[in-house]
Amino acid sequence: MKLLIIEDEKALRDNIINYFNGDGNVCESCNNLATAIDKLYNYDYDCVLLDIGLPDGDGFAILDYLKTQMKNEAVLVISARNSLDDKLKALNIGADDYLTKPFHLAELKARALAIYRRKAFNSNNKLTFNEISINLMGRTVSVNNQPVSLTRKEFDILLYFIANKGKVISKNAIAEHLWGDEMDMHDNFDFIYTHIKNLRKKLLDANAHDYLKSVYGIGYKFATL
Amino acid sequence: MKLSAHYSKAIIIITIFVLLAGGVIYFFTINRLGRNLLDRDLTEEFDEIVDYVNLNNKLPKQGDFEDDQRVFIKTNQVRIPLRFFDTVFNRSGEKKLEAGRAISGLVSVKGEHYKVLITESRQSTEDLIQLIGLITLVLLVSLLLILFVTNRYILNGLWKPFYQTLNKLKTFNISDNEGVFLVGDKVDEFNELNQAVHTMSSRVKNDYQHLKQFTENASHEMLTPLAVITAKLDTLIQDETLRAEQLDQIHEIYSSASKLSRLNQSLLLLVKIENNLIDNAELLNLGGLIGQKMRQFNELAVAKDLHVDDKVDDVIIMASKYLVDILLNNLFSNAIAHNVEGGQFIINLANNKLIVQNSGTGQPLDPNRLFERFQKGKKSEGMGLGLTIVKNICNLYRWKIVYSFENSLHSFEISF
Repeated sequence: MKLLIIEDEKALRDNIINYFNGDGNVCESCNNLATAIDKLYNYDYDCVLLDIGLPDGDGFAILDYLKTQMKNEAVLVISARNSLDDKLKALNIGADDYLTKPFHLAELKARALAIYRRKAFNSNNKLTFNEISINLMGRTVSVNNQPVSLTRKEFDILLYFIANKGKVISKNAIAEHLWGDEMDMHDNFDFIYTHIKNLRKKLLDANAHDYLKSVYGIGYKFATL
Repeated sequence: MKLSAHYSKAIIIITIFVLLAGGVIYFFTINRLGRNLLDRDLTEEFDEIVDYVNLNNKLPKQGDFEDDQRVFIKTNQVRIPLRFFDTVFNRSGEKKLEAGRAISGLVSVKGEHYKVLITESRQSTEDLIQLIGLITLVLLVSLLLILFVTNRYILNGLWKPFYQTLNKLKTFNISDNEGVFLVGDKVDEFNELNQAVHTMSSRVKNDYQHLKQFTENASHEMLTPLAVITAKLDTLIQDETLRAEQLDQIHEIYSSASKLSRLNQSLLLLVKIENNLIDNAELLNLGGLIGQKMRQFNELAVAKDLHVDDKVDDVIIMASKYLVDILLNNLFSNAIAHNVEGGQFIINLANNKLIVQNSGTGQPLDPNRLFERFQKGKKSEGMGLGLTIVKNICNLYRWKIVYSFENSLHSFEISF
């Protein structure tokens, strides 16, 4: 996946690039509106990560630009403004998703992949990870062509892990992914443990490899052996 | 009591006193003047009699004239001092007695002494006094009447701009964007007052706007560093050489960062609610929303082995879905988080009333401080903003929220 990261905060930009690199991704980045438009004019990207607050204007201009140029990049808006209006505005003028700062890199990657897949494969696609095959549309999972029945949360976790394969994901990131901001679940990680334990058991029962590793004290890692 | 009432009370009391005093002074003055006049008349008449006697050496005719009566009484007294006194005047031919004034003195005719008694009617003086009294009374009544009318119509009219200003002040809302608009008036004092109110309200609003802006900007500015912290941590934990203790530390940082970001979001949300910046109200079926929410929270309730008891009717409300979502989240989170193992969780939605009850530790909460910012239970992991947000959402839509504690159940009741 070819990404353009438009973010003016250098520290954040570097970490995003660092996190996305590898796994077949190519990242380019810029820190202002003018360069971003320049890049978008010259190249095509699969996915654009767009910070709304840029030093030389707000990122909505990029969405407008993509729309008028009829370009087909999937756009994930990153904003420090958790405002419903901004969110609706961004989604209305062509953003595919909206993420509020602060966010976990795992969440960013999962969402970027999701909108990319939706755009590129018209969401009617299968995601395969070795012997595990996921039907994104029907939300079904099979291992070695044998269906595995997962709960909604287990399915979400699996998808989240596969999007971030090879990375250590913190429990906090998983909690926020599963329950969002709304529920005050953040200090209660027992639920995650239960869901992950069940998911792992179901996958192992279906003769999948044991990809799920617990990283002591901090979270989990889903990786090939 | 209104200022105008105080004012007219004082005026009325003063007026009554002045007029009464005036009446009394009039009475005595007129009385005195009349008496002096009569006395002069009587003296003149007595002198005439004395002159007559001296000239003619005989008594004049005793007479009963229109307004005075003369009587001569033979007496042995040698000296009678000239004396004036009040008496009655019996007008001939009339039964009615009138007030009279008399003079008595002594005349000597051919060695004989006669006491002379001349009486004059005081009727005219009395009449005058009565007339003056009447006039005073009429004056008093009409003055009171005039004062009353003045108060009622003119003074109230004069004070009208004051009450307008007062009403504007009563409805003053610091978060309203429009300034306090006050009409000019012909009274200088009120103009000055309006000016002062206008200046003050603009300044207060301005300060408030700045403060609001500051809160909002500060909160927003905090989000980017927080994003950097989170991203750095996410990158840091990829390092496979980290030891368990270090990962523990990182986990703590994660938790604090996420707590800080939630605190930030809550504060921003409060600012938005208080400034009425969330205006996407729509018709919502609260029953349906509660059903969804219950499914979301089911896992939590099951984990605590709670007895969930929900009776939910369809209730349609007009509100922002976003805020109602937050309201339910906060209420349900609290009800579950502060519940006891195997406790009760009761939701009842009927007749435009939502009641959320939960068992908990036996102590009732302080209803006065419950909804204040940063008030939280000793064991609470939260920030103490949840119920403040709930309260503010209720205030925004003018719903009434009441906390009570009965049968060891904490109960929150919202009337829509």
